[in-house]
Amino acid sequence: MNDGWNIVVCVKQVPDADDVTIDPDTGTLNRSDAPAVLNKPDHNAVESALALRDAVGGTVTAITMGPPPASAVLQAAVAAGADGGVLLTDRAFGGSDTWPTSLALARAAEELDADVVICGEESTDSSTGQVPPGIAAHNGWAQLTYTESLDPRPDEGVLVGTRDVEGGYERVAAALPVVVAMVFGANDPRPAGLHRKIFAETEFEPVQWTAADLDIEDRVGLANSPTKVGGMDTASPVERERTRVDSVEALYDHLAEVL
Amino acid sequence: MSAASGPEIDVADYRDVWVFVEQHEGEAAPVSWELLAKGRELADETGEALVALVVGDGVAHLAEEAVARGADRALLADDPVFEPYRADPYGEQFRALVEARKPSIVLIGGTHTGRDFAGRVAVPAHAGLTADCTELAVDEEGLLLASRPTFGGSAMATIKCPAHRPQMATVRAGVFDAGEPAEATENAADAVESVDVVVAEEDTLSTVLERVVGGVVDITDADVIVAGGAGCEGDVTPLVELAEALGGEVAATRAAVEEGWVEPARQVGQTGKTVRPHLYIAAGISGAVQHLEGMNGSDMVVAVNTDPNAPIFEHADYGIVGDLHEVLPALTAMVREKQEVAA
Repeated sequence: MNDGWNIVVCVKQVPDADDVTIDPDTGTLNRSDAPAVLNKPDHNAVESALALRDAVGGTVTAITMGPPPASAVLQAAVAAGADGGVLLTDRAFGGSDTWPTSLALARAAEELDADVVICGEESTDSSTGQVPPGIAAHNGWAQLTYTESLDPRPDEGVLVGTRDVEGGYERVAAALPVVVAMVFGANDPRPAGLHRKIFAETEFEPVQWTAADLDIEDRVGLANSPTKVGGMDTASPVERERTRVDSVEALYDHLAEVL
Repeated sequence: MSAASGPEIDVADYRDVWVFVEQHEGEAAPVSWELLAKGRELADETGEALVALVVGDGVAHLAEEAVARGADRALLADDPVFEPYRADPYGEQFRALVEARKPSIVLIGGTHTGRDFAGRVAVPAHAGLTADCTELAVDEEGLLLASRPTFGGSAMATIKCPAHRPQMATVRAGVFDAGEPAEATENAADAVESVDVVVAEEDTLSTVLERVVGGVVDITDADVIVAGGAGCEGDVTPLVELAEALGGEVAATRAAVEEGWVEPARQVGQTGKTVRPHLYIAAGISGAVQHLEGMNGSDMVVAVNTDPNAPIFEHADYGIVGDLHEVLPALTAMVREKQEVAA
């Protein structure tokens, strides 16, 4: 452990859905062509990974799974300070649900000899939060989900995480290797330094791994995903009065109906 | 399904509806009983048994309560290794139980603990897992139809798991009614089966050093909620005072929670709580879909916003254009005045 920890941070490219609203009449989505961005909660994961490296030494490697344009999120992680990035890209990954996705990330983390894998709480486009515990389960590693802060203890070979347990917190000491999911908003991500940013944009090239490189080509993709989308319905818009009132008195009269 | 994805399974070997009874220090999470009531409906439809899975230390009373609440049987894994909750011993115990008993459906609360557990256990079982469902049904073949809001709540996606078992779902708290336990429970203990504990403390990967829980508000039971968003601009006093006058609770959007104005337990929306009060007052809230998703079930929605074009007005019964720092105090004064007259 003298050379520090191998820290892997998992990141995802998602549509920027910050300003979406629902059309109340049709129940459909109003969104401008949302650009692809780094999943917001992953900014907290990257910051935690960098802070952990500051504390114990070692390296931070960003990994993502997706088509080649997804390497933009690796670039963002490198601009923020990650040492390198790995893109898991292969047609074989297409249609993967959380089971094969976490398998691919788990295999990559193993390949990178990770001591700590850090993820965001969940992705804003699928919001399952299932991938971090999935990675831990595939590798038989410890897991710390909903983590607010990290306290590394390299001498003992453990990572202590403070977890939000809804109604309180707990501090858990996990043996390495461990998979961490940081609570969204757990920290203030550092801004990318100018030189690092230029490096990320001009010189950085991610390492690319296929499913075969990870020896999982027949265990990923749609065929190996237990869940199937069985249908998509427009959420029926809730009927509302949509009445404007122009005085607090008039508002109070309406409230009185239910009070 | 692909043979490479694991041992080929015959889905017909898998039967029964299981509900994971989440508990902490012997107290059941409310969502556990909500799922048990819903699980009863599903089991009646598929003609299978409803089985409660109770894991903890000294939790036989919860297994009996599960039976009183409608479970046909309860499986009890009772051992100090299971208190407090940790993903790896719970996961290992669950894996062994699934392997031996082959449940068809497993429902788990969509709490932090439930999601931590579900994500772990679905992998070794090669189960299909759907997150954060708000609707559950079974189709004519007995397949679980697990539906969840998607695209920020504008659509409902229904997820199926045709070729893998168990069919697992985490389910939002506050969506289903828990109902009441039956009065007569004298035979409850007979329906509780203690199972072999397959985990030893020395095999665990983590140690809970400290656990501090308690004193946290539950906004999901409130009849009246006064919620604030970015428009609070750091001052939530008007919300607190109106909530107090109305006997309700204060809630907030993610933005207001992230600013630190309101505690996280009060967050409403996709990543917060789902609430269904009689009256929901949205003050200084623009009306992002992620927030609407958590409060759309409210009986009456009132919007207060300085922006006449804020989307929230389209999702409210009554709206007033104005600054919450003026509107809410005026409303509070009026409520108090009427209360005094009534007294």
